[in-house]
Amino acid sequence: MLITRRMSAPASATELPRFAEFAHRAAAEAGFDAKSMHRIELAVDEACSNIITHAYRGAPGEIVMETRAERGHRLTVILTDTGRPFDPEAVPMPVAGASLEDMQVGGLGLYLMRVTMDSVRFEFGVPGVGNRLTMTKAVQ
Amino acid sequence: MTATPMLDVTELPVRGPDDRRAYYALVGRLDAATSSQLERALNRALSATIVLDMSRLTYVSSSGLRVLLTARRKARERNGDVVLCGLTQNVRDVFNMVGFSALFTIRDSLDEAR
Repeated sequence: MLITRRMSAPASATELPRFAEFAHRAAAEAGFDAKSMHRIELAVDEACSNIITHAYRGAPGEIVMETRAERGHRLTVILTDTGRPFDPEAVPMPVAGASLEDMQVGGLGLYLMRVTMDSVRFEFGVPGVGNRLTMTKAVQ
Repeated sequence: MTATPMLDVTELPVRGPDDRRAYYALVGRLDAATSSQLERALNRALSATIVLDMSRLTYVSSSGLRVLLTARRKARERNGDVVLCGLTQNVRDVFNMVGFSALFTIRDSLDEAR
């Protein structure tokens, strides 16, 4: 069974809990455990924060989120925005461990997205859409 | 959960072994919407060491992690430290993912952090 849901909200940090809550519900519908639900919530939070900071750069904008929950199988989260393309490859990846003190903290959010989700894919300039981020995670 | 960003940062009337420590309780979510609140509170702190009771902090994202990392660096410049205590499961999970568990001084409870 596939449950698809969609929401949109202004690209503002004060809206982050709404996106997180929406993702949390979709994760529950897909059948994830509490730990994974929190991790999915975190990935969505970090993704939205990146859009607010890097794509819209604090300017007004909108984030659209679609969730596709396949019960017992997988959750797909698709976030779209019409801000500036944000190249994740330009963000330095922090290295966990001994070098933490000296690490570039800027890449922490992206690092968390990659660690918590199975796949993270960015597309820019999608006709009629703008920027599209697709994240998936399989139910273990 | 509501759309209202929520974090309470409260200085606690706790006495430590000396007057070089300040104690704060963090309640709620430490995310991109609220991390500046903690940053402002910690920037005002004059004590060398800052102890944060996180037993009622339900959520932390990278914005919160950055504030904690900066606070730790500044505290160490004052020959102090940032001591974190009472981490909830979600917060501990994030700390483990980014290696903060090995970096920060972490205690099970506020009592142990005195």
